[in-house]
This record gives sequence, structure tokens and C-alpha cells, in this order.
Amino acid sequence: MKTETTFEAMKRAHRRRQITTSVVTHSFMILLSVIFLLPIFWMFSTAIKSRWDIFLWPPVLFPEVPQWVNFRDVFTRVPMFRFIGNTFYLIVLKTIGELLAVPLIAYGFARLKFPGKGIFFMLVISTMMIPLQTKLIPLYSMYVKAGMIDTYWPLVLPAFSGTPFFIFLLIQYMKTMPRDLDDAAKIDGVGTFGILYRILLPLCIPALTIIVTYTFLWTWNEFLQPLIYLNSYEKFTIQMGLEMFKGIWSVEWNLLMAATLSTMTPVLVMYFFAQKHLIGGIASVGMKG
Amino acid sequence: MVTKQVKRSKAAVKEALCGYLSISPWVLGFIVLTFIPILSTIYYSFTRWTMMDKPVWIGLENYIHMFTKEPLFYQSVKATALYVLMSLPVILIFGVLLSLLLNMKIKGMNFYRTLFYIPAVISGVSIAMLWTWLLQPDVGIVNSVLSFFGIQGPKWFWDPKWALPSVASMSLWKVGGSAVIYLAGLQNIPPQLYEAARIDGAGKLRIFFKITIPLLTPTLFFQLIIQMIEAFKVFTEAYVITKGGPLKATYFYLLYFYEEGFQHFNTGYASALILILVVIIMAMTMFVNYTSKRWVYYEGEDKAR
Amino acid sequence: MKKDSMKAVLVLMLMVCLVGSLFAAGAKESAPAKEVVTLEWWTWDSEEYNEASQRAMVKEFEASHPNIKINMTLLPTKGFETKMTTALGAGVGGPDVAFFSVANWYPKALVLDEYIKRDNFDTGMYYKGFWDTKTQFNGKTIGLPLGVGASIVMYNKDLFDAAGVAYPTNDWTTDEYLEIAKKVANPAKKVWGAEILTRPFRAIWFNHGENARLYSPDSTKVDGYLNSPESLAAYEWFYDLMRSGVTPTVSDMATLSTENTGPIDLFMANRLAMATLNQGHMLNAVKAGKNFGVVREPGVGDNPRHVNAWSLLVGIWEGSQHPEEAWTFLKWYVGPEGQKFLMDNANLFPSIDSVAKQYKDADKDYVKGFLEVLNDTQVAIWRGAHPSGTKVEASITDLWDKIKLGLITKDQIKGELNALVPKAQAVLDEAKKTLLY
Repeated sequence: MKTETTFEAMKRAHRRRQITTSVVTHSFMILLSVIFLLPIFWMFSTAIKSRWDIFLWPPVLFPEVPQWVNFRDVFTRVPMFRFIGNTFYLIVLKTIGELLAVPLIAYGFARLKFPGKGIFFMLVISTMMIPLQTKLIPLYSMYVKAGMIDTYWPLVLPAFSGTPFFIFLLIQYMKTMPRDLDDAAKIDGVGTFGILYRILLPLCIPALTIIVTYTFLWTWNEFLQPLIYLNSYEKFTIQMGLEMFKGIWSVEWNLLMAATLSTMTPVLVMYFFAQKHLIGGIASVGMKG
Repeated sequence: MVTKQVKRSKAAVKEALCGYLSISPWVLGFIVLTFIPILSTIYYSFTRWTMMDKPVWIGLENYIHMFTKEPLFYQSVKATALYVLMSLPVILIFGVLLSLLLNMKIKGMNFYRTLFYIPAVISGVSIAMLWTWLLQPDVGIVNSVLSFFGIQGPKWFWDPKWALPSVASMSLWKVGGSAVIYLAGLQNIPPQLYEAARIDGAGKLRIFFKITIPLLTPTLFFQLIIQMIEAFKVFTEAYVITKGGPLKATYFYLLYFYEEGFQHFNTGYASALILILVVIIMAMTMFVNYTSKRWVYYEGEDKAR
Repeated sequence: MKKDSMKAVLVLMLMVCLVGSLFAAGAKESAPAKEVVTLEWWTWDSEEYNEASQRAMVKEFEASHPNIKINMTLLPTKGFETKMTTALGAGVGGPDVAFFSVANWYPKALVLDEYIKRDNFDTGMYYKGFWDTKTQFNGKTIGLPLGVGASIVMYNKDLFDAAGVAYPTNDWTTDEYLEIAKKVANPAKKVWGAEILTRPFRAIWFNHGENARLYSPDSTKVDGYLNSPESLAAYEWFYDLMRSGVTPTVSDMATLSTENTGPIDLFMANRLAMATLNQGHMLNAVKAGKNFGVVREPGVGDNPRHVNAWSLLVGIWEGSQHPEEAWTFLKWYVGPEGQKFLMDNANLFPSIDSVAKQYKDADKDYVKGFLEVLNDTQVAIWRGAHPSGTKVEASITDLWDKIKLGLITKDQIKGELNALVPKAQAVLDEAKKTLLY
């Protein structure tokens, strides 16, 4: 009898603790969410105002006559759908490039031994230290001579050589995987690259998801390189479209905010669904014992 | 015995060849897209060049000027170094904490994770604008909240003493992006370890410091290097909001480079500036890499080869 | 013997091939060039010439010039500079025709004097002031001036009426400017009187006196200019403006000026009674139906008045593969035909007097006020003379910040200026080494 009561008491206490943790966590998350969402509210509030009502005093949170038409204007003033399509096209090409190149390169660094590996690795890292602006003129010169200006080649080619950030990420990820796997596979007669493609890569899904997510994000936000390499208006990308709302003498803040919100949404939606693969790696990782 | 050695060396050669083959895509890209441009940068650093005419060879003059006659150089190094020291711990610590939070199995976590990812999605310029509004001295939210408690908030970006911390605080926004990386790293920790620890009666804090953190060190190492490199390259915040002021408090190195190269067209000198930056970052990275052998734990490297 | 003859035959065949190919290539080139030439034209849009009107203008040009096709690359304004600098710096892949809006690009513009002389192109049709200040580099003509622009003070008549203050007139002084600003402002309602100047060395500075400039006209000496009595008076006037309490806060201005767009947003929200804006902003105000007036920037005593005016230089890249066709397009585009088209179909204020006389709204007050301002001496002269001057200007930023943020007192300004002279001189000497003249 006594054990039952103590057991029940323990269960009750445990449940109480669970609820408290849940309540505390939830309220904390809600508070953080509000803070993170504040700028979005401001952006939205600006997006539905007419052009010269944004800086009134006292500031108006929700205008009397919300200008929903702004969201439509964003797509008619500038061929935004076209730009979004172009950007998606770039994303697909670059993702293919990265997914082909990065695992191969990372595997070399993470698992294979070859002379000069340390130096090569430092070179990979050092590439990240060089700001893009320094390389612009020599690269532009090269691409002009190769006849690649006003095409997507200069934007896509680097992906097939692997972005250092991703290479480094995947190297770290692979290094955490026990070598027992490699050895077991070797005994089974799997070749060097077979180990990569059949054993290690399936376990790297979370890292690969990051690569896909970040490629999406970075391509979406890219401005400088498309600006330099593209001339034809119909080939432009999203960020270039957004810049068109910044005129030479004034900025159309309402349209700019509406455009930013509109172009933000697909990325967030994509990320929302990609999360499953980010967190879902648990089942496949526990292969010990 | 001789055959064994021969076999081993043959295997080693085969492995080395496979190694070179696997990194070949990167090597090719590196030569064309990075190495050649860097060569021209090195060349231009020894010239006086405005981009609009022929470069004039002046040897080490750019470097001498930088180190002996240019107070702006030291100001920008100092501002950048302070920024790195202020922002790096914040990003790393809060990034880990946020990822732990986001790893919890609570209803709606998918939604929360996406929410915290939002700032990473908004481009740097928009974020800079939003923070200007947040930290606006008169009507900004932060100062309004502070005045509610009777505190007169400082002028943030417009106070020479507070400008740099204000810019450093903006890096808090970016933790959502790095939390994603930690999340992936957390997935790699086998749950069996946690279970075993709990069965042994270990408390939450102990589990955190003895299991989670050590197994997270590869990711931490990665983030440390990446965020440190990015911190040295801080630019947008200064360019959009403070323009390097007030009184050069936020006059970051890349801003200095940008002004010299793209506003004053002093491109030879700007090339020299970039090379010095790369050297500095490289030195810091190698230092971190060297210490990493002591504190980074790779499970896959347990059987040291 | 056979081997030698074989060799000889081979060599002969090779030579025939080579010569033959040369002829073939030469034949192609000497064919009558009635093929279509495509020109790359890089431009941006603004209130005065938007995308639609520029594309329509291209169609009009192509209709009358069937052998020339124009590829118009429309760029965001900020991106335009980066792209041009990259292309001009790389020396390849540049546009045929583009704005040469940054003085540092001048060495890369094609010299046009030969073309002008050969075609008897009448450059006298342009307003002389703009021709002299904008199109000349090292004594040579490097482009044609498109349209005119100027800084003017726009004032909100409704706010003035509400405060019961008389409108400013063209002969007003900087002291009256401060007085008026204080009277029209209503800080309780966050209505400001005047905006914060972004930088010195514009009309108001030169109105204080010719010596208020940063360095001597021959770009050699700072002493006697930066620290001259006129210069000091200008800085002290700015100090009074900043302490008057009738300007928006520094953070307000910085937020709204993040894209260098100036105080137009506050003016249009009826929160700024007077603002130094330009003709582009004027067009916005007209479109929004604002009740406003236009007056020139205030002067000092009897000193000659100056205006911060400009015209956009359109030029041909010296690396252009089709300079002849580019010139044909240029003289049509920036000549009477193109400017009239943009004036009628957009809002361009032409730089050609005969065309400007046909401006549709010439009778409106704001147009008259704007055109009158163009008669003053232009400030632009000293800035274009020394492209490396941007760095010297940057050396006074700290002092400007100190005045803006109230970190020094009025009587400390003189000392600051004197202390700055040797520093600015060092920067000037250093910058002169990259002088392109």
C-alpha cells in the first residue's frame, strides 16, 4: 500500500514538474517570439501604408485605409515573379553543384590521407577570409573574356567547386562518425568511394539539409554578383528587383517592405519543411551496439 | 615482411591518389576563382593604382604608409578587434543555448524554429534599418522600455561610447542562423549516451557539461572559426547605420578598405589593406586550429591513425 | 627528291590556305556595313526619366536609325556605380554609352572633340554654366550634359500659414533662415523647422565667401581656407543650427538617409517645414499635391549667391567597339531630340535652352522658382577639379560629428579647425599623388 502511494506521489510530482517546465518554456518562447516578430510587425505596418504616410507623428500602427494594393504593385512595377523564377533556377543549379562537389571534397579531408592535406585545408579556410570585393575586377575580366557575361555561368560555376563553408561543415560532421563503419564496409569489400556514397553520406542528411537550406538562403539574398555579371533586365534576381524600389532621390519604403515580406515567405516556408530532415537524423545515427 | 611494407605503401599511394581526386573539384575552382585574383591583388598592393589608369610600381610604400603614417589604419584595427571580442562570445553562447531550447520536443517547436530563422532571411541592410528603429534614442522601443523603469537610455548608435556595443548587440540577431548548425550537431549525439547517464543518476547540468558539450565541440570549433572570420569582416552595420562614426568608434577595417578602394579609388593601397587583413585572420585561425587539438573531440578520430 | 617535293607541295598548300583565309576575313570586313550594330547602354531610372519613357525613347531612336539597336541595361542607382567601377577598372566588358557620374571615371571616357568638330555639333545649345563645369576634363570634352538639377529649399506653405510666418524670399540670409526655422517649428508635435546639413561645401558654405572652401582653387593649400574667417563663420552658423532645437535628431536623419535620400520623407509627412531638396523631390511633391514653394538657399550679407547645381554627364566608354554608332546615339539622346522626348514623356528639365522653353508647366510657380536658381554661380566647379578630394573631405568628418552631436562648444570650433589644417594638408599631399590631371 505504502509503495503505491509513494509511487503515485512521485508520478504527481513528476507531472507537476512537467507542466511547470512546459509553462515556463512556452511563456519564454512566446516572449522571444514577440521580440523576434516585432520588426516583422513594423515591416508589415509600413507595407500597407501609402507612400507619404509612413513617417507621420504620432506613428500609426495600422493605417485607416490599408493599401493592400501595394503587394500587387510590387509585382507589377517590377517583374518580380520573373525575378523569383530566375532565382529559383539559380538555386536548383547551385544546389546540384554543391551536392555533387561538397561530399566528395569533404570526404577527402575527413577520411583520406594524402601529403599536404593540412596546407590544402588551410587554403580552403583562407578562401573564406577574402572579401568578394577584392576579387570582382579580376573575375569580371576573366568572365568577359570567356564570354560568360550576361549568363548565369559565373553565378553557378563556383557551386560546382564547393563552397568552403559547406566543405568545412561536412568535414566536421564526417569526423564525428566512428571509423568502425569504414572498417566494417572495407571488410565487406566496399571501395573507397563506395564508403562515402553508401555508408557515410546517408548519415549526413542533417548536414546536407543545412547545405541545401543555406544555398537557398544565400542565393536568395545575393546582390553583388548578379549585379556585376548580368545585364539583361529579364535575367535579374530578387535582390536586384528589391533595389529598384530605392530610387535615386527617395526610397519607396512601403513597396520595399511589401516586396521584402513577399520574397521572404517562400524561404521561410522552405525552411519550415526542411526542418524535418534537420532534426530527423536521430534514428539513423544510433548505430552503435 | 617486405611484402607487407610494399602492400602498405601501395595502399598509401592509392589512398593519396583517391584523396587528390576527391578534392580536385575544389582545387580547380580555387585556382581559377581565388588564386589568380589574389595574385593580382598582391601585385596591385605594391603599386599606386586608381583603376582608371596604369598601375605605378611603388614597392613597399603602401605598407609603410599603412603602418607608420596612417592613424585610420590603427583606428580601424582597434574597432574591429573590439567588435570581435564583444560579439564572438555572445554569438557562440547564445547560439548554443538557443539550439538547446529549440531541440526540446515541445508542441509547435517547428514554428518557433522557423521564427528564429527569420532574421537570417532578411538581408543585412533591412536588419540594419530595423535595429536603427529599435535603438532610436527618442522613440525606439529599447529606450521607451528603459524610461518605463526610470532609466534614461543612452543615444546608442549616436554616442561614441555606446556605438560599438550597439553594433555588437546586433549580432544577437544572427544566433537563429547558427542555432541551426548546432541543432544538426546535437542530432549526432547518440541518445543512448543520455539514457545511460540518466540511468547512472546524472543530473541535467552534469549531462550538459560532460556529454553534450564535449560531443558538440566539433560543431563549436566550426562555429568559432566561421563566426570569427565573419566578425573580422563586419561591414554592413557600419556602412548602413553609423558610417564609421561617431568619431570613428565603429570605423571597421572593411569599411576603411571600402572607402579607400571604392570612394577614394586608392585601389593599390586598398589591396594592401586586404592582404594584411587576410594575414591577421589567417594567424588567428591557425592559432585556434592549433589549440583545437586540446579541446575538440572527434568520435570518429578515437582510433587515432 | 620525292620527299623534298612533297614538303614543298605541303608548304605551298599551307601558304595558300593561310592567304586564302586572310582574304576571306578581309572580305567579310570590307563588306558594306549595313549590318545591325548593337550598343550597350547602362542607365537608371528616376522621377525625371523612368523606365517606360527611356524604353519608349529607344524605340523612337531605333525607328529613325534602323542599323543601330540599343540594349538598355536598367540598374538600381547604387548598383550602377559598383558595376561601372568594376567594368571600367577591369578594362573590358564596359558599356558603349552610360552616365559618367563619378569624377574618378573621367579618364575612361572617350574624348569627343574630334566627333563634335567633324559633325559640326552645336555645343552652344547647352546652358553655358553646365557645359563648362560638367563636360570638360583636362581641357577635353568627354561627354554631353543631360538635363539640369539643383538643390533648392522647398517650404511647406500649410505649415507656414499655420504658424503665421511669412514665406521666405530669394534674398533671405542664413540668419533669417534660423529665425524662420525657429518660428515654424513645433517640437511638441515633432514638426521641425529645418533639416541637418549632410555635409559642408555646398551653396551655403560658398555664400559665406569664396575662401570658405576646403583648399585653394589650385588644390595645393589648406591653410587660409579651411581655417579662414569665412569658413569659421559657416561652421559656427551650422553650430547654431544644431543647437536651435528645431532640427530633427541626428538619429532621425540617419535613419531616413540610409540610402542618401535626404529629408524628403519628413517633408512629405508635413513634419519638416523647410528642406533643401532638388527637382526630383519637387516632382514628387507636385504629384502628391503638396502646397509648397521654392526658394534658393539663403545667402550671407551682400556676398554673391551660389547654387549646388548639376547636369548628368553622359559619355562613351573609351573601350567601346562601336564608337561611331555610340556617338550617333549620344548626340541624339542628349541632343534636342532625346531631351525633348524625355521632357514631354517624362519630367526631364532639359539642359538645352531652346527645348526648355517648351516645358509644359513653364508657367507654374515651382518651375519658375527652380529655373531662376540656375542663374547663380555653381558650386560644382571646385569638387570636380580634384577627384581625390573625397579623401580630404573625409578628414573633417570627426569635427562635423562633434558639432552634430554637441560634443564641443562654439568657441572650440576655431581651435579644431586650426588643428585640422596640418592633417588635411597631409591627406591632400598624399591624395595628389593619385591626381589624374
